[in-house]
Amino acid sequence: MAFLFRNKPKSNAELVKSTKELLIRLVEEPKANPKAQTEEELAKNLQQMKTSLQGTPEVEVSPESVHQLLSLIVQEDLLYLLANNIYKLPFESRKDTQVIFSTAFRYKPAGASDPQVLHHVIQYRPEIIISLCRGYDRRESAMPCGGVLREALKYDAIAALLLYDEPTPDGKTRDLASVNPDIASSGEGVFWRFFDWIDKGAFEVSADAFNTFRDILTKHKSLVATYLQTNFDVFFQKYNAVLVQSESYVTKRQSIKLLGEILLDRANYNVMTAYVDSGEHLKIVMKLLRDDKRMINYEGFHVFKVFVANPNKSVAVQRILINNREKLLRFLPSFLEDRTEDDQFIDEKSFLIRQIEQLPPAPVPPPGAPQ
Amino acid sequence: MAVKKEADAYQVLEELGSGSFGSVYKAINRDTGEVVAVKHIDLEATNDELSDIQAEINLLGTCSSPYVAQYITSFVDGVKLWIVMEYLGGGSCLDLLKPGEFSEAHIAIVMRELLFGLDYLHATGKIHRDIKAANTLLSDKGKVKLADFGVAAQLVNFKSVRNTFVGTPFWMAPEVIQEAGYDFKADIWSLGITALELANGEPPHAGAHPMKILFEIPKNPAPRLEGPKWSREFKDFVAKCLIKDPDRRMTAKELLHHTFIKRAGKVEAMCELIERKQMWDLERENASHPKYYEETMVDLSPRTEDEEWNFDTIKTSTVAPARHVTKRRKMARIPSASSDLEGATSKMESMDLNAAPLGTPIDSPRRVSRARGAHRVPSTGTAIRVPSGLTPTARRVSNQPKQPLAVDISFGNSPSTVRFCKRVSSGERRAALSSNPSANSFHPNPQARTFRPSPPSSVHPLDANNENVPPTSNQQSIPVTKEALLGRRAYDKSLDSVFQESLADSAMPHQREAMAKVAQAWSHLDEVDPHGEFMLLKAMVDRLQSDSRLASALGVSVSPVPTPRRESTKPSETMLSGSTAHGTGTTRIRSSTTSTGTGTTSIRNPPGLSASPASTPVQTPFSTPTGTTSTSPLKGPKLVLANNNPHLKSHRRRQSAFVTGEKGVWGNEKLADIDERKLPGHVEKGMEQQGLLQDILYGQWMAGLKSRWPLV
Repeated sequence: MAFLFRNKPKSNAELVKSTKELLIRLVEEPKANPKAQTEEELAKNLQQMKTSLQGTPEVEVSPESVHQLLSLIVQEDLLYLLANNIYKLPFESRKDTQVIFSTAFRYKPAGASDPQVLHHVIQYRPEIIISLCRGYDRRESAMPCGGVLREALKYDAIAALLLYDEPTPDGKTRDLASVNPDIASSGEGVFWRFFDWIDKGAFEVSADAFNTFRDILTKHKSLVATYLQTNFDVFFQKYNAVLVQSESYVTKRQSIKLLGEILLDRANYNVMTAYVDSGEHLKIVMKLLRDDKRMINYEGFHVFKVFVANPNKSVAVQRILINNREKLLRFLPSFLEDRTEDDQFIDEKSFLIRQIEQLPPAPVPPPGAPQ
Repeated sequence: MAVKKEADAYQVLEELGSGSFGSVYKAINRDTGEVVAVKHIDLEATNDELSDIQAEINLLGTCSSPYVAQYITSFVDGVKLWIVMEYLGGGSCLDLLKPGEFSEAHIAIVMRELLFGLDYLHATGKIHRDIKAANTLLSDKGKVKLADFGVAAQLVNFKSVRNTFVGTPFWMAPEVIQEAGYDFKADIWSLGITALELANGEPPHAGAHPMKILFEIPKNPAPRLEGPKWSREFKDFVAKCLIKDPDRRMTAKELLHHTFIKRAGKVEAMCELIERKQMWDLERENASHPKYYEETMVDLSPRTEDEEWNFDTIKTSTVAPARHVTKRRKMARIPSASSDLEGATSKMESMDLNAAPLGTPIDSPRRVSRARGAHRVPSTGTAIRVPSGLTPTARRVSNQPKQPLAVDISFGNSPSTVRFCKRVSSGERRAALSSNPSANSFHPNPQARTFRPSPPSSVHPLDANNENVPPTSNQQSIPVTKEALLGRRAYDKSLDSVFQESLADSAMPHQREAMAKVAQAWSHLDEVDPHGEFMLLKAMVDRLQSDSRLASALGVSVSPVPTPRRESTKPSETMLSGSTAHGTGTTRIRSSTTSTGTGTTSIRNPPGLSASPASTPVQTPFSTPTGTTSTSPLKGPKLVLANNNPHLKSHRRRQSAFVTGEKGVWGNEKLADIDERKLPGHVEKGMEQQGLLQDILYGQWMAGLKSRWPLV
């Protein structure tokens, strides 16, 4: 991996221009004869670009050059081209591309508080973000794209872009300004693709997609709370069916845990109360307690406890709990009883047992609930 | 099932080694004939955040260099994560050290190759953080490769630094120990120590206590290579690596130009060492039976059906759990055809397949048979299906002492030794602090438990946890005395850290030494006799308290604690000893109306509270097994925490949710508390216990290293 200053380094303008041409050649002529040559040239360019943006342990970057290079990249719309074709690049180039994206998205000129490039992307080129998500379609591009996405997801606007994405007739990504958060999602936007990526992808893809999915749902509290309320049924129907009851152990375990995190987040109070009112949800969760995998039991417990601890249980929930009172009281004392060191768990378990013991003999409608 | 196919693509052969995380096997790709090393991680046995493991895989996946052990793929099969790596038949440098030290020529080759590897990693923004002979693997052709990225870190950019305290003490750079922030240069220090290790057979200070080492590395002058048999260049190379100031230490790239490296020979020369090791093994005839791969035999026999939830509002077909033995109560609407239990099982299965709107029934035999099918790998020829009645599971017990391997296979990718003291990610920190993940009720080395996937016990918890066991068997499930648990807890949670703080505070060498001796002795006591440890503590606190002057000076004076609803009832002795577990371990309750200062815990009388659900959570952790969970859980005395007790902050945090729950109103308050508490992994922002975490880490090292360098 010698640093490629053997040939005279290209100027920033040359570099961006030639990279763009090479990329187009790679895309348009997939079988073109000197493919290896194109790739090699492209790899060199991307590496040089990375080095001028990031520096090396030995060489510091020059702010002027970074600014100039990024301006050119934005001008030539190179990011869009890269986002769409990252999987076609050679191994090291994919990583270089990830660095180029991350540096660009983080870039704030001296004194500015806004990440300039990212700002531009949100406003004029949101397609780039959507294309990055599509990186999960392929194993080669999943991880570099995921890394960039999570970097970008530090900003609410990116999460909003993903959540409110809808297919449009002209294929253009929606302008955030035109979004009405009270209109329910069609379930066709890019956000909903994450369920498939997580459930069906190869392990690495699935794991990375899940991390991004979690970032979307946990790092943008008020945004997500609004979104979940508007799309409560679609979201949880899909979440329970695809993730919580997934065939894949990893997906299942992680999504139960995430479910608990979402429900217990203060911002999602309304979502939680709606969730724990549903008898169907309780059934799913109670089945988790009997799963043959201990960690599934454990994660399931932390959702189950919310149902039981709720002092205003819906009639449906009360009915299930009362009908199963004896079974629960037999089951819970020995439930994961080897967790002797886990004080919180033990305390919560005995709390739940008491709550269940104190259930009325027949369901009582909660105060203020519609009869 | 794409997942299944991936596992079937490999024929798994003999075990190469095992560690706390699982086992490493040699395997052959059936399609390509490629020989690989497969690391199996049992995800059920790990309380780690799965994302930590994923992070390691992500890091592996972005490395592609001839100097780094090549990652091939990874996938999940059931609860097992398979990480497929390049097979390196030459063994680790640590293995090759067994017959004797390396010659200078060989060390030069290893160093050069490692520098190439480090240069690659550093150029892509990665720090390995655990360079040592054990993590340096050789191919059978003598190629040297870096392995084990269990603690490696990816830096966001070149200027960022790390603060996490990871690695293996003997090889750790001073700046890592001092937690002053470190970067790539930390690997160069470890490389220098590795050179000494290869030259001398062990790293400097190898005989010393790892805890002591941590204080000595930053304090002492850097170690040097000594002895007439080594060339001036070699000594200079080591000296260049071991410069205490990281800014003056050279980079990997610079060191590649060092004369010592420049004149290093070809990697093929390393084959001499591999052959030497093979001869050595032959001479010692340490060929034992190789361990072959066995499928995990989780007990799949169906539990009897009595305990299926009764969701009476849904259609019968949706609840049909389709178990082999199906017996329902309250299932009046079961179609009569399927109420003929045994005979109708298959019928129910098929019915269940499509009819269950709730998705896959969790315990359906469909899944069972699929799982068996998936595991039908030829290598299971040696697997024995153990009837569930006798041995609950045939799960591989990875914490068994590692058995010697057969001659021809004792090489290869050795398992990571560093998992013992691996990264300190926030996830782990959380795990360490709030949920104590030990799957076993008692582990001989409790300091270690938080940071290591708990070893699968021979009695698998699933079975121990069988729902058919009546709840009355609870008491038997505690294998050791309460006092022992408490003693252990006291050590883990407070004493250990106290020792370390004192050690850090004492400046004079002789003071330090004395302190270190006490700490070590106590650690030994904790290991051998936690029960006695607790009794000792108890006696000490008692005596101190009985002397009023000492008591007040120490802040353990006896003072009444205001408790809103205190009544005077004598608590039972057993409850009390159990209760103290919540405190720091030094807590001792003297009477029902008073409590000791440090672990202030006052006693509250139950009768007045019998209607308050909130009193339950204040029960002791041991109250559950001792029977309070039976129909009248309020009979025992209850404990309340005094408001002014700083030592019990964490306890109160855990409890707070329930204490407010007392109000019986599901208002925002209650919610807020749940929110605070969140999931088990949650940690308060204050992170008061950072010190504790450190201590656990120290304990961790000691545990891990004791196995390699039996202590003084």
